Amino acid sequence: MSDSTPQGAPGSVTEPGAPAPPEAERPRPQGEGMSERALGRAFLTPAFVVMGLLALFPIVYAAYESLFDFDFFTRTDFVGLANYVDQLTSPRFWSAVFVTIAFTVVSVTLEFIVGMIFALIMNAAFKGRNVTRAVILLPWVVPTVIAGQMWRYLFEQRPGYINEWLGLGAIDWLGSGASMFWAVVIADWWKTAPFVGLLLLAGLQTIPNEVYEAARVDGATWTQRFRNVTLPLLTPSIVVALLFRSVDALRIFDLADIMTNARLETLSVLAQRSIVRAPQPDIANTLAVLTFVMIMGIGLIFIAMMGRDVVGEPEEGS
Amino acid sequence: MSKNPFLLRAVGLLAVLALVAAACGPAPDEDDEAAPDPEDTAFTWAVTGADGPTMEAVADLWNEENPEQQVELELLPPEADDQRQAMFNDQVTEAGQYDVLGLDVIWTGEFAEAGFIENLEDMRDSVEGTSIPGAIESAQHEGELYALPYSTNFGFLYYRTDLVDEPPETWEELYDTVLEVQEENPDIDGYVGQGDSYEGFVVNYLEFLWSDGGEVFDEAATESLLLEGDHAEKAITFMRDAFEEGVFAADFNTMVEDDARLAFQAGDAIFMRNWPYAYPLLAGEDEDDPTEVADDFDIAPMPAFEGAPVDTISTLGGLNNAVSTLSENQDVAREFVEWAATDDGPQEILAEMQPPPTKASIYENYEDIVPEDQAPVYEVLNLVREDARARPPVPGYNSFSLAVQEELHGVYADGDDPGPALEAVNEAAENALVEDPEDVIEEEADVDEDE
Repeated sequence: MSDSTPQGAPGSVTEPGAPAPPEAERPRPQGEGMSERALGRAFLTPAFVVMGLLALFPIVYAAYESLFDFDFFTRTDFVGLANYVDQLTSPRFWSAVFVTIAFTVVSVTLEFIVGMIFALIMNAAFKGRNVTRAVILLPWVVPTVIAGQMWRYLFEQRPGYINEWLGLGAIDWLGSGASMFWAVVIADWWKTAPFVGLLLLAGLQTIPNEVYEAARVDGATWTQRFRNVTLPLLTPSIVVALLFRSVDALRIFDLADIMTNARLETLSVLAQRSIVRAPQPDIANTLAVLTFVMIMGIGLIFIAMMGRDVVGEPEEGS
Repeated sequence: MSKNPFLLRAVGLLAVLALVAAACGPAPDEDDEAAPDPEDTAFTWAVTGADGPTMEAVADLWNEENPEQQVELELLPPEADDQRQAMFNDQVTEAGQYDVLGLDVIWTGEFAEAGFIENLEDMRDSVEGTSIPGAIESAQHEGELYALPYSTNFGFLYYRTDLVDEPPETWEELYDTVLEVQEENPDIDGYVGQGDSYEGFVVNYLEFLWSDGGEVFDEAATESLLLEGDHAEKAITFMRDAFEEGVFAADFNTMVEDDARLAFQAGDAIFMRNWPYAYPLLAGEDEDDPTEVADDFDIAPMPAFEGAPVDTISTLGGLNNAVSTLSENQDVAREFVEWAATDDGPQEILAEMQPPPTKASIYENYEDIVPEDQAPVYEVLNLVREDARARPPVPGYNSFSLAVQEELHGVYADGDDPGPALEAVNEAAENALVEDPEDVIEEEADVDEDE
């Protein structure tokens, strides 16, 4: 995740495929045979083929099948883009898109803020920090299915823990309306803020202490150090954290399904219902492809931002 | 990484916790010791795991009686959607592992229309007059049998004898009774039942609809009658008013069977709609499942609306056994299906355990067959079984049911406008009658072209 070990690195094992480090061109043993680099590629080929089959094939196949009509599970007529027209003109689809995007924006924002606080705490040197780190990370290690059931139990009106603890009376968290949205956001927030914290912590640890010392010598306050040293140097990690979380949040299914019995209808919930409960493979395939395109698009935007960072770095560093 | 042992440790911790979590889960189904010798296995019976012990007892009995033609019991997941998915997979992949399919009563039309199950109309004589009529109705598609009855289920009204003198006979009476009792006991919930957005809600809604004289389809299932009269709207607005007024429990909209049972069992509710399974538990049969109402409850037929043509109504649940078209053991599979429907052996096992049987004679002679503590259940079952109704087993029942869940849940629980919601359900009901509405439109278009 970080290239933060400039000391040493005696040109020993270079990662195949990584851009060639300038000092790493080791003299090749005399004689015939492939270069180390070509050999590396050859060794990697089977892995890429398997990945292509496992990851790419289902996506392409789903896209292909989405162009057909289905009679139950049997593929019938080729209908071109008719399934897409159906979905893109369906209010239910757009409502699911809205719910999914709203969920992603709200939950990722909240998770980022709390994750940043967690990361700063975990990064600080103080007594008992190992225990603190472990405690902060606990929610993240709980399997989502279990976390979902736990939160459902807490939010339910009977026995009504959350309503009682917060003195809220009989709030119907999971039954309907906007409260369902917030219940799921809160559960997701609790569950994944530590993950964001962990990613940001990894970034924080790559920032050399000397930079802070220099800033301190210059008389920078904590706020100034955070804004002018931490944030800029942390940007790559922040982008990675936001990328991971956004892509993940756009797929939200498990918590919505478990906590609200799929009443909070996100894109993935809609797709799952179309294949498991309905079964309408044409609609399910179409929804899956549309979801994929949306997530892929947003992922690519993030990756483009990351690329800009990487390009931008040497200029600042020189 | 070497600089940062913490991250490593975090990953290690994650791995350990994941293992612990996996270890805490239920052990994967191991073949029980009673599994038959594979050499004698003639066929496989795939059925819900929800009443596993009952199914095992029935399979064991068959194996005892038929040493040459052993049945292998394949217990599917207890959730209906998962069972259906498992059976679909078996069909769609043409694996044909299951010979006999234990079908939920609402799947007959869908499976028959898809060509997954054999027509069993030639076996009608063996069940006509033997099985209860509602169960036979639920095993039919287009007037012909595609499965034979096996088990059934009825809903009835559980009520608190310490709070209510006589069980209400109408919904209006129930409504007023709840409000009266709550004046004295403001903390008690009124009515609990199955209100979450799932099949159980459809069962409950149909009871409200039918108990006002409303219908989803005409008798031959050729058209939707949902919007005939104002029954459909009256049913859902009654639910909405009851939910808003606190006659229904505040969490009625997220309740499934066991949520309702636990609330009633804890003494938190006056009335409950539930299946017979709750009776022994409320009476304190299970020491690990304490009850507050052991001596303070009784059961009665479900109420109907005032002035309705019926006095009581109950939606039937249950299972029918069908023969898979992929089965290579048709003869023995048919024999098993008939045996399970008509023989006293398996039907009495159902009567002793759960769920209730479909053989009418058992209800007539229940005093000699069912355990004494279950007798009151059969007493009431005898009152309601004539009026019990199967959910219409039309080919598109599933999409009709999904429409009810998606459209009407919001009407009573979230104050959505009933008009458009009922229109949408009505459309789904119309579409449920034909296999694939788009195909019909296309076929009609083809005909036009030919002309």
